[in-house]
Amino acid sequence: MAVLFVLPALAIYGLFVLYPLAMSLWGSFFTWKGLRMLDFAGLSNFTRLFVFPSSARLTGALWHNVIWFFGIMVFQNGVGLLFAWLLFLRDQGKGRSGAAFFQSLFFFPAVLSPVIVGALWRLLLAPGGVVEWALNGLGLHQGSLTVLGNSQTALLMLIAVDAWNWMGLPVLIYTAGLRQISGQIFEAAKLDGAGSGRMLVSVALPLLMPAIGTLTTLSFINTFNQFDIVYVMQGVQGNPSYSTDTLVTYFYRLAFGAEGAVGITDIGLALALGTMLFLILSIGTLLMLRFFDRRTVQL
Amino acid sequence: MSALAIQRRLSRLPGSTVLVLWSAAVLLPLYILVVSCFKTTAEIYENRLGLPQSWSFDNFTNAWTRADLGQNFINSLIVTGGAVALTIVVSVLAAYPLSRYKLGWNGIMLGLFLSGIMLPIRLASVELFTLMRNLGLLDSLTGLILVYSAIRIPFAVFIFANFMRVLPSELDEAAHMDGAGETRILFQIILPMVKPAVSIVAIFTAIAVWNDFFFPLIFIFDDRYKTVPLAISVFVGQFRTDWGLVFASLAISMAPILIMYCLLARQIREGVGAGGGMK
Repeated sequence: MAVLFVLPALAIYGLFVLYPLAMSLWGSFFTWKGLRMLDFAGLSNFTRLFVFPSSARLTGALWHNVIWFFGIMVFQNGVGLLFAWLLFLRDQGKGRSGAAFFQSLFFFPAVLSPVIVGALWRLLLAPGGVVEWALNGLGLHQGSLTVLGNSQTALLMLIAVDAWNWMGLPVLIYTAGLRQISGQIFEAAKLDGAGSGRMLVSVALPLLMPAIGTLTTLSFINTFNQFDIVYVMQGVQGNPSYSTDTLVTYFYRLAFGAEGAVGITDIGLALALGTMLFLILSIGTLLMLRFFDRRTVQL
Repeated sequence: MSALAIQRRLSRLPGSTVLVLWSAAVLLPLYILVVSCFKTTAEIYENRLGLPQSWSFDNFTNAWTRADLGQNFINSLIVTGGAVALTIVVSVLAAYPLSRYKLGWNGIMLGLFLSGIMLPIRLASVELFTLMRNLGLLDSLTGLILVYSAIRIPFAVFIFANFMRVLPSELDEAAHMDGAGETRILFQIILPMVKPAVSIVAIFTAIAVWNDFFFPLIFIFDDRYKTVPLAISVFVGQFRTDWGLVFASLAISMAPILIMYCLLARQIREGVGAGGGMK
């Protein structure tokens, strides 16, 4: 009886998530010809991953994901904390919450598809686009704006677009966290003469550890799955000259045949990369959850 | 206004300025998007920020018919509606015994479902592609509905189980004594009491499915079955010089989400603030 109720969900979830994932991990230890699995190959796919030319792509993509993660931690989660704190201060002493309007506005880009956000910013940042026009008009820049075509700046632009996209998330999670902190704690700090900056760092921040943990873990997972924005804004090769390549765009090229001049697939290499990414994500997530769990302050 | 009140307002000024500046950073690109939809490409270059000279809908009709966004739009609606309905039905069914019966194996089963919330399913896309090909589900909206449901089931089971667990057990005990069947108890007694869970699951599943790009990219090749995000990714390259048309297609693809967001902003804010799972 109970089994019959669970069965439909389990069947769909098992067939389209658990089974392909298990097969992908298993398949990374075999040699492949096209989409056919051949012989057991031990760790040879993994060693190939670290040999040129793959090693250059791998380290580049991994490095970009790491920069992306720290960029998001500062520009999205750090700035988001500041916004949440400002909203919290505005509402202090007032009965009703005026923060709702700003929260809704800031969160709106987060419900849009990253494809739409990427396409919109690609048009705005293009040479001849409105950002170039505005910067030239303000005298901050001269001539054609090529930030997306320049390998020094392209990755930073994508990180900024991603932060614009998701800024509302830290604002919502931090304001929810701040509201759970008892008002008496802030009153006591105020009586001790703490300013609002001091209160944020010394009082609120330690009590926000669960929220910080949630956001850090979510940002870690999202960053290491980054694909859509890169694909739409810079193409699947992570242009210019692989400077915005990520682990998932590299995985996509290996798996679906857009890597190298001739564009052939290398399923063995793709699955090895997938397994590696799976390990990075699961171990990273577990470590972060434990790290923040230990630092949660109990009152 | 007393001197104290004025002083209080002044001390808030820098903070308010920061908030207003970011509001502008969010609104300005969206404003440019909206006004550009009504301009020709030449007018977009000449008149950057102003309102269009005439409110022409040419870009919209071009996007809808010439670029065939209409078909993509219908496909996205079918896939989103189908995935939301299927996810809710099977997850409600599964969550009921797992959260309210003592079975001995509900802990393990719930754990198995929960592990799926974090699984990076994109990495399984090669094997998933082979599976879909063998099942004849490539180039198929049904295939997309099944994959999206499979991905969203863990989150849905988690939410429904959490809501159902706290309902008093007298509810179904009384119904059992009246001789009601399990299906009737679930759909007539339990389900109406977890309506907020249904709306949370529906909202976040709809957003995730409507916005997804990765799976149509690898499973859909025929133009007739492309969804909106996939079509948009093609437009951006294909109509690169026709900015008005690209802006209009972006606006069309945002419209359903914008309408839903205006109606449900409070539920979405609370759902996310409570740590509800986006993505």
